[in-house]
Amino acid sequence: MSILGLSFTLLFVMITMLVSVWQKLGLERDIAIGTIRSAIQLLLVGYVLQFIFNTSNPWFIALILLLMIGVAAYHAGKRGKGLRGIVWKIAIAIATTELLMMGLLLGFRIIEATPQYIIPISGMTIGNAMVVSGLLLNQMRREVGSSKGEIETLLSLGATARQAIQDVMKRSVKSSMIPTIDGMKTVGLVQLPGMMTGMIIAGADPIEAVRYQILIVFAFASSAAVTSIILSLLSYREWFTKDLRLLSIEPERKG
Amino acid sequence: MKPVLELQQVKKNRTGADTRPLFMDVSAQITEPSMIALLGVSGQGKSTLLRMLAALDRIDEGSVRLHDVPQSEMDPKAWRMKVCYVAQQPVMLQGSVEQNLRAVSFLHRIPYEDKLVKQLLPRLGLEHLELGKNAELLSGGEKQRISLLRSLLLRPEVLLLDEVTASLDRGSKELVEQVLQEWHTAEGTTMIWVTHDLEQARQISGQVWFMGEGTLLENSATTTFFDSPATETARNYMQGPASKEQPCLS
Repeated sequence: MSILGLSFTLLFVMITMLVSVWQKLGLERDIAIGTIRSAIQLLLVGYVLQFIFNTSNPWFIALILLLMIGVAAYHAGKRGKGLRGIVWKIAIAIATTELLMMGLLLGFRIIEATPQYIIPISGMTIGNAMVVSGLLLNQMRREVGSSKGEIETLLSLGATARQAIQDVMKRSVKSSMIPTIDGMKTVGLVQLPGMMTGMIIAGADPIEAVRYQILIVFAFASSAAVTSIILSLLSYREWFTKDLRLLSIEPERKG
Repeated sequence: MKPVLELQQVKKNRTGADTRPLFMDVSAQITEPSMIALLGVSGQGKSTLLRMLAALDRIDEGSVRLHDVPQSEMDPKAWRMKVCYVAQQPVMLQGSVEQNLRAVSFLHRIPYEDKLVKQLLPRLGLEHLELGKNAELLSGGEKQRISLLRSLLLRPEVLLLDEVTASLDRGSKELVEQVLQEWHTAEGTTMIWVTHDLEQARQISGQVWFMGEGTLLENSATTTFFDSPATETARNYMQGPASKEQPCLS
């Protein structure tokens, strides 16, 4: 795409602005900030990727993956406010998932060990793991709130934290995986996934693009399961105080 | 001999903007296995006190000791196995009635006392119950008795009963009272029983703890309490209409 072509995409921003002004939505400032930020962030990422692809230095790849995991953990951590050390726990869960995914993909030579493959596929896996972590923590909060009686009944019978929260954990893990599994069922029918679309636009053979998309869909399912289970195991104790009383859970906040 | 249970200057603060304590200076000693009725008007914190004794709510100040061992120094799981709370609103765990009754055996990997269950079910008026039935489908009264039986199978030293006969008809209530009386005699289990049924309190307890004015106002033998209460508050409480318990803050 030429720079001129890219500039014309600002027309979409103008349409959004006009709608906002016309309907008095008051979103002009946010639209402007969003436009500038997304353009700068993406352009910067483009340059960074170009640099890393050219150097192929494994340390740079590791650095960018760590950065991705850090940002993902920080964002998902907002869903676990009030839980001790939750950002670290999410980071460990996501990093383990990433290591496992990449280990399998590279170990079985499913993808080439080059930054062109490692970084985008990792980005998608980490992004999905972030969404799953957030869903799990949200669901745990909801479940712990609604199952207080069940958990305290088990505690009063002398249960450990794990025994008392086991069923709540199971239900939350299941619930956090549902969107990914539902996505598997409708992929390609309801929407063409971003990666596949991108590859086709960039000139790749659609069959080749589909093969990679299948890889991503399967990797997502397994990363959702792995992240959710690891995070639930790492964090279940945090719903209790040190002396094994259930935390008073604040109701879920919007946004 | 070390007291079974000892409460020293126990205090509970209210939550939220209200800075007045819910109760304070609650001290008492249980020197031998006893049946204690915990009385008081609604909102005095009787349920909260039971939950604190069961290590389910925080003790803001003061201490509770079991055989001279402070709650804070004991593993909460071990404490709760010895001091067990039975809630006013019975909660059935997911699964069948039998799975609920097997909960203690499952949690602690101890043998399930099938014989005892079969013996107690009819005595609690539950002989008709199918053990394979989904526990969630039981009536309120059935849930309350199953929840009680589930806790008895833990064989705790102290049983904290929070209005456990509130949703039972007269016949079932009397059955439960009888079973608990006999259990107390046979097992030496101390029972602290929150009730609003003064007739029940008179019959089942040997000791009354009366909460009022933000503290444990009276601690006396049941006959003494009912014949000659020491405080005006207790006299008023007994003369007042038998009020239904409002859900207590906890």
